[in-house]
Amino acid sequence: MKTKSNLERVLEAGQFAVTGELGPPQSADSEIIRRKAKILKGHVDAFNVTDGQTAVVRMASWAACLIAKEEGLDPIVQMTCRDRNRIALQMDVLGIAALGINNMLCLTGDHQKFGNHPTAKGVYDLDSIQFIKVVKDMRDERKFQCGDEMEVAPRLFVGAAANPFAAPFEFRVVRLSKKVAAGADFIQTQLVYNVDKFAEWMKMVRDRGLHEKVKILAGVGPIKSVGAAKYMKTRVPGMDVPDSVVQRLQGVPKEQVSKEGIKLCVDIINQVRQIDGVAGIHIMAIEWEEAVPEILEAAGLLPRPKFSL
Amino acid sequence: MNAQVRKPFEEVLGYLEGRKKIFLMGCGGCATIFHTGGIRDVDEMAERLTKEGKEIVGKIGLPFGIFTCYLPMSSMFLKEHRQEIEKCDAILMQSCGDGLQAVRGYLEEEMGIVKPMYPSNNALGFSSGGPSKFKEECQACGECELGRTAGICPLVQCPKGLLNGPCGGTTMDGKCEVDPTRDCAWVMIYRRLEELGTLDELLERQEPHDWSKAVRPRALEVEPLELLEELKGTKKAIEALGV
Repeated sequence: MKTKSNLERVLEAGQFAVTGELGPPQSADSEIIRRKAKILKGHVDAFNVTDGQTAVVRMASWAACLIAKEEGLDPIVQMTCRDRNRIALQMDVLGIAALGINNMLCLTGDHQKFGNHPTAKGVYDLDSIQFIKVVKDMRDERKFQCGDEMEVAPRLFVGAAANPFAAPFEFRVVRLSKKVAAGADFIQTQLVYNVDKFAEWMKMVRDRGLHEKVKILAGVGPIKSVGAAKYMKTRVPGMDVPDSVVQRLQGVPKEQVSKEGIKLCVDIINQVRQIDGVAGIHIMAIEWEEAVPEILEAAGLLPRPKFSL
Repeated sequence: MNAQVRKPFEEVLGYLEGRKKIFLMGCGGCATIFHTGGIRDVDEMAERLTKEGKEIVGKIGLPFGIFTCYLPMSSMFLKEHRQEIEKCDAILMQSCGDGLQAVRGYLEEEMGIVKPMYPSNNALGFSSGGPSKFKEECQACGECELGRTAGICPLVQCPKGLLNGPCGGTTMDGKCEVDPTRDCAWVMIYRRLEELGTLDELLERQEPHDWSKAVRPRALEVEPLELLEELKGTKKAIEALGV
């Protein structure tokens, strides 16, 4: 065990892992975080707290992680390279580990153009792959990026994102292998709606033996409305929503669409579970956290494994 | 080249308010290419300012190939026009900011002339192409990465400056999420490596970029050129091309 992470325990025990996601508020309201954390508690092995997702100013991920940790959850702090240079990133890595947070997802970050401060200057001093290597070297070599050594290393279970769908498709598995070589312990993928394409990507992953070096969690999430499905299909770059998904939601009466969305999510979970090399799922139901227990129950993924710490 | 556009004429007039005698200087380099300071542009400016009641006491329109920012060339013209420059209330520089500051420094340090100086252009930085279309491809970061990125600079072409491949926001047709009218830098790099048969290069992890080389202001010293010899060589080479 590299860390005290519950997620690492579940994965090391060979259990099919479940992670969730929580978006911090656009305010200093800690109660929202506690409320969302209580919904997820007991249903997921760990959960991500986003870091200024879509470049909108929200409570810092590490701070929201700490609040949720008080509720008894194992948080995964998300860290993007958009807002911090290599000095600030490493300072946060030290602080986050010192606060007892065990997991960190290293991301490049959504471009500032898409957020509520589009005139901001982006940093991008490091990219996600370079950042993964920095965190791994801090943990395993007790070294900063400059080569200086430290006394107490940050014990973090290091995660990375992967998008199996964006162009160029053939390069995506290469990029995954770079993330693995840089030191990623686990991977959470972009939302999977095109299961065939995902399976094709997973075959490329297995051909390279990457599934044996890194734990891959398939991204899944319920769709609440036909409009949301169409929006993701046409407006969210790098997302692959097949026509069949939109048609399935269109095929039921309006008041049953959200129920169908949950069923669809369960079906996708059942399909990706069958794919060799998939170690778990990452369920993203931002602002629809209530749906998570129902989905996991229907998918037969409850109760979650418990370990004495 | 340093791409540039003209400032609004009203802004230029604003700088010259209260100054009657104006000296104009253009540039035979980039400013000629971008129609912001060639000989014709200097003549046009003289005409417009005259109409606004200014007195043009002198002007330097540099022939194409004579760069204002390269003082061994431009200073010959400055010396030639010393008297007019001394007479003027202000100098309007039809060049980039480099040209203006090179001339300001030379006038002060070498010719002992201190005059108010104003820009007529906004410089946009390095660009390549022509004769009509130009694009930005190099940001002069001081630590060139092109040898590791298939000759396409992702620090410039990718809005996130990613050195290890595309982000997750590349559209299905290979466009950039930040500006879907443009190809993703890493899709371009991928296609080029594919054509060169060296896709394996993508596996290599690129280390964080050394930004210390970009700390400003930068300065350096080189061996001076034998200017007239170089120009003779240029003339010969152009003649040999038969143009």
